[in-house]
Amino acid sequence: MMNSSLLTPSSSSSSHIQTPSTTFDHEDFLDQIFSSAPWPSVVDDAHPPSDDFHGHDVDSRNQQIMMMPLNDGSSVHALYNGFSASGSLPNFHIPQGSGGGLMNQQGQTQPPASASTATGGTVAAPPQSRTKVRARRGQATDPHSIAERLRRERIAERMKALQELVPNGNKTDKASMLDEIIDYVKFLQLQVKVLSMSRLGGAASVSSQISEAGGSHGNASSAIAGGSQTAGNSNDSITMTEHQVAKLMEEDMGSAMQYLQGKGLCLMPISLATAISTATCHSRNPLIPGAVADVGGPSSPNLSGMTIQSTNTTMGNGNGKLNGNGNGVTKGSSSIAVKEAVSVSKP
Amino acid sequence: MASADKLINTDVPEKDVFALHFLQSLSNLKTQNPLNSPAKSIDRVRKIKKAAYVSMARAAGGTSRLWSRALLRRAAKDDNKSVRFSRRKRKVTWKISSKRRKSNNQRAPVVEEAAERLRNLVPGGGGMETSKLMEETAHYIKCLSMQVKVMQCLVDGLSQK
Repeated sequence: MMNSSLLTPSSSSSSHIQTPSTTFDHEDFLDQIFSSAPWPSVVDDAHPPSDDFHGHDVDSRNQQIMMMPLNDGSSVHALYNGFSASGSLPNFHIPQGSGGGLMNQQGQTQPPASASTATGGTVAAPPQSRTKVRARRGQATDPHSIAERLRRERIAERMKALQELVPNGNKTDKASMLDEIIDYVKFLQLQVKVLSMSRLGGAASVSSQISEAGGSHGNASSAIAGGSQTAGNSNDSITMTEHQVAKLMEEDMGSAMQYLQGKGLCLMPISLATAISTATCHSRNPLIPGAVADVGGPSSPNLSGMTIQSTNTTMGNGNGKLNGNGNGVTKGSSSIAVKEAVSVSKP
Repeated sequence: MASADKLINTDVPEKDVFALHFLQSLSNLKTQNPLNSPAKSIDRVRKIKKAAYVSMARAAGGTSRLWSRALLRRAAKDDNKSVRFSRRKRKVTWKISSKRRKSNNQRAPVVEEAAERLRNLVPGGGGMETSKLMEETAHYIKCLSMQVKVMQCLVDGLSQK
């Protein structure tokens, strides 16, 4: 293994490495890079490192330079790739804080013994042996492709970070992971919208809408769907419930909500309902067809109506506030929030 | 990788910072608008939403994040206010290398189309490279979830009867 040949120089110079590490700073580092032998030219494999560098001092310094970033994971490996291409120095500027952080670490951890100055490196870099990153055997050393590889690695690493944030991030496929991320962002934005609607005056607007829509449209501007319990309901009774709720809403939101709760229903905005029904496809209770009525309200689609559903779908994790039981009282956060809105809006 | 996170700083301040900003903006709203104007309640909802986003942007790193900047700028444009941003050293070098890369045809089309969709969602995503965009998205997601938690707590707290 090529690495074994490098053990001796690294171990001998390890003492060199530790002492100056604390005094290193960016400018020194960069000076070293530029003053040392031009790296991109030394691309052939199987060159013992001592031949490449001028003197032991530079050798140790260079080793130091190369070993420092390699203490971290292969992410820095990717970072470090940028050095090989001439003119890709800008790549190093970007993680500015990390560069300093890396140098700080250097004094603390022993560089792995295989911190190598192997020029060729191995094609697959096993985690122990840190190959010199500038060119891998069998891959082009063209700066474009190196930069491209670096870019792809950066993107992959960020996607991994995103994957941890997003729930349900166990998809291995990049495409589905990206879809998941996008849907999650949409979901969060929707949540903010819903919460802001429910907080102050959402109910007031809804009730006003329903009262005025009740006259103009045939049906009330809220559609009511029942769960499994009420599956047997015909359309007529649903409309009746709607009318009842609309009437109650005009007088007092609290009584309207109680009426709904007695029936095992909850109130939620249509946008959210559609989001629920489309977001999670593993619902045990399929929605009653035609139950979700998208009402064209007179104004913005946000408040064009409310649809009431009682389903067993859960929305992601822990956000199950918008669940509905088939049997009992629903604790939709919208319903609670509507109640709260009532209490708040009453001076 | 834990080490990878050191490179990408996506730290988000604690919940109370968010809550503080949000409550301040809400109280501002309340003083501005009287409570009984049913015709304009839709506007009120929009204002609340906007206050939520703006307070979130301010709480989550002010102007040091691209998406928060774009959000604040967008919000300020609606109000015809002017927002002041501290001058940052432009990373011109990064831009140059990105231009060079555009000649390369090796961009994964899957990633790129997803990045396009993300750009529409995340504020200020129009002028960013994909890797930068994903970083911003990560921070944005964290802030959004924090904001949602804060609002949820407020709603729960105020809905006690």
